[in-house]
Amino acid sequence: MTLVMVVDDDQDLAEMLGIVLTGAGIDVDLVSRGDEVMDVFRNNPPDLVLLDVMLPGLDGIEVCKLIRAESMVPIVMLSAKGDTQDVVKGLEAGADDYMVKPFRHPSELIARIRTRLRRTNAEVLGLLTIGDLAIDVQAHQILRAGKQIALTRLEFDLLVALAKEPGRVFTRDALLSEVWGYRHSTDTRLVNVHVQRLRSKIEHDPEHPEIVVTIRGVGYKAGVMGGS
Amino acid sequence: MNPIFWKARNSLALKVILSTVILSLGVVWITGSALNSRLSSGIREVNLNSAIAEARSTIFTADYRFLLAQGEKDSIVQKVVDDVISSATTITSNENTREVVFLRSPSNTMIKNYEIASNFLDPVSIPQSLSERVRKSNDTVWQYTTMRYSLGASVSGLAVGQKVQIPGAGQYEMYIVFSLANEEKTLNLIESYLLIAGIILLILITLITWVVVRQVVKPVREAARIATEFTSGDFRQRMKVYSQDEISTLGRAFNEMAESLEKQIARLENLSRVQQRFVSDVSHELRTPLTTLRMASEVIAESRDSFDPTVARSTELLVAQLDRFERLLEDLLEVSRFDAEVAVLEAVDFDIVQLVNRCAEDLALVANERKTQIYVKSAEPIIMIKADIRRVERILRNLMANAIDHAEEVQIDVQIQASERDVAIGIRDYGVGLDEGALTRVFDRFWRADPSRARTRGGTGLGLSIALEDARLHNGELEAWGRPGRGAHFVVTLPRKTWDSIDSRLIPLEPEDYRV
Repeated sequence: MTLVMVVDDDQDLAEMLGIVLTGAGIDVDLVSRGDEVMDVFRNNPPDLVLLDVMLPGLDGIEVCKLIRAESMVPIVMLSAKGDTQDVVKGLEAGADDYMVKPFRHPSELIARIRTRLRRTNAEVLGLLTIGDLAIDVQAHQILRAGKQIALTRLEFDLLVALAKEPGRVFTRDALLSEVWGYRHSTDTRLVNVHVQRLRSKIEHDPEHPEIVVTIRGVGYKAGVMGGS
Repeated sequence: MNPIFWKARNSLALKVILSTVILSLGVVWITGSALNSRLSSGIREVNLNSAIAEARSTIFTADYRFLLAQGEKDSIVQKVVDDVISSATTITSNENTREVVFLRSPSNTMIKNYEIASNFLDPVSIPQSLSERVRKSNDTVWQYTTMRYSLGASVSGLAVGQKVQIPGAGQYEMYIVFSLANEEKTLNLIESYLLIAGIILLILITLITWVVVRQVVKPVREAARIATEFTSGDFRQRMKVYSQDEISTLGRAFNEMAESLEKQIARLENLSRVQQRFVSDVSHELRTPLTTLRMASEVIAESRDSFDPTVARSTELLVAQLDRFERLLEDLLEVSRFDAEVAVLEAVDFDIVQLVNRCAEDLALVANERKTQIYVKSAEPIIMIKADIRRVERILRNLMANAIDHAEEVQIDVQIQASERDVAIGIRDYGVGLDEGALTRVFDRFWRADPSRARTRGGTGLGLSIALEDARLHNGELEAWGRPGRGAHFVVTLPRKTWDSIDSRLIPLEPEDYRV
């Protein structure tokens, strides 16, 4: 059974989230204070964390950083503000996705959670290469010269999406639907922030990326190292 | 225009120095010329008096000697004439020379001729007018003249003449001609000294003015610099006050003004922060319960099939009204963000044609319900712009939704035009239209074209107002045209690059299909 940790200080909303998720066949662990998260997290590691930004004790962005320091578990931030600073801060702290309250439908929330939980690219077999990296999709591993690089699930999915079709230029919208499962969204911040995070982990020089290359005004593509 | 004058218009220092120099030039000129003319006339008068006295005594002596030689032989008389000339003529190294000229009066018919001029002085040096006056007068007569020598030299001089009787030769005119070369030299010297003194004086005045002006202008320049920095946002700038003069008074007044401005700005900034904080708090406090409400209503709605019809309908209404409530909340928060001036642009590059098409597709279902269709026509297949895509999408959705609401089952035409700098989107419906009064209020918050018309799509009444704010945030413009019964036309024009301004209206506001 899948376990989702719901961190929200609003008891009623937390209970409602519990009802909806349980109804979808997901187990729920409710936490209402930011400073209690890590204890619960270590005792009973969840498959996904649903994390509110405003929390008593410790704020959601700090909690997000703490979780990322120990685990690659998918994190979806819940934000009451549509304000960019908070969203970007959350994403930079390591969140994979975010949802702004109020959600359109409970089904939307569940769909997002499922997207983050599913084993993406299960159909891709064997090894992929991108730049000087080797990707073992099945084993969920990235290797550079035999050494493993730790990526979150989302970063992994993003890299695989680019590596699967080396010649293709992905628009931000295309990546949003491929990796995040959004039907049509214009929220390019998600893509931008995650590409930056991914680059900081895999590029030799993140200022001059060679593996995930920006195509100005269009989007991104897999880079060819050593030129051709 | 002369560049120095143009510069003077822009520099206080140059202006003051220039006018001081011009005025002092006038003063020095007038004083100098007055001094020069007084000096030269004084010197001339002294010279003239002494020359006349000298000439008189010389001529008197000559006259006396001629009287003594009365009745002597011609050779004796000749000797007397020579003596007179040699004693009256001084040959000195300097140019202060005297010459003697004897001219025979025209009335004299004697054969013996003693006409002579010393040192090759040409007798034409004696002006005709002087000769006439000498003949008429019994006294000495004088006139300024030019001394011409037969060797070619000529200097200015003074001729003094009188009639004399030479024994055995009749009446002659005797002239003593004084060279004025020395006097001329002295006068020239005085003139050039005056000129040099004038120039030095002018230079000194310029320097003094420059020093004084610097003293005044420097603090003024400093004040201007500080005021400029103050304007550009550095509110800590203050003028330095050293003393009690007028400049310091200006400085103190400026500093007081700066102080009060800084306080006002701080107060306003604080107010804006409080407002922003309030908006953010309201946002959070309202959204959390709204989320719970929506999820609860959805959970209830999922089992609506098992409810009896009134409860099922009530559930539908609950869900729909929660939707509307949420939209209203979003719009209100957006409006308050505009009011607090905390709305920010998040610009990205995107294809506006694609965005317009997507908005039209998304609204196609709603349009269908209202028995209308949206047709999009673009001048170019792809038009890339850099703008806040979320806001541009909201403008387009609001305008299209508004058009659908008022389309009256007639189609809606959307056109896109682009130039190098700008892009314009025109949304034209052929429905109820707007009258003059409505046009002035169409962007007002919560304003309804016709209060009796139901708001069918559950619009918030803030859509057009927000669309206008969104367009203006991009330095763009949103304008409305309408005629009762002839439909309406909304045109939004945006710069293709963020922070540019629009410099054209690519789509005329009055639609081309409209003819009165």
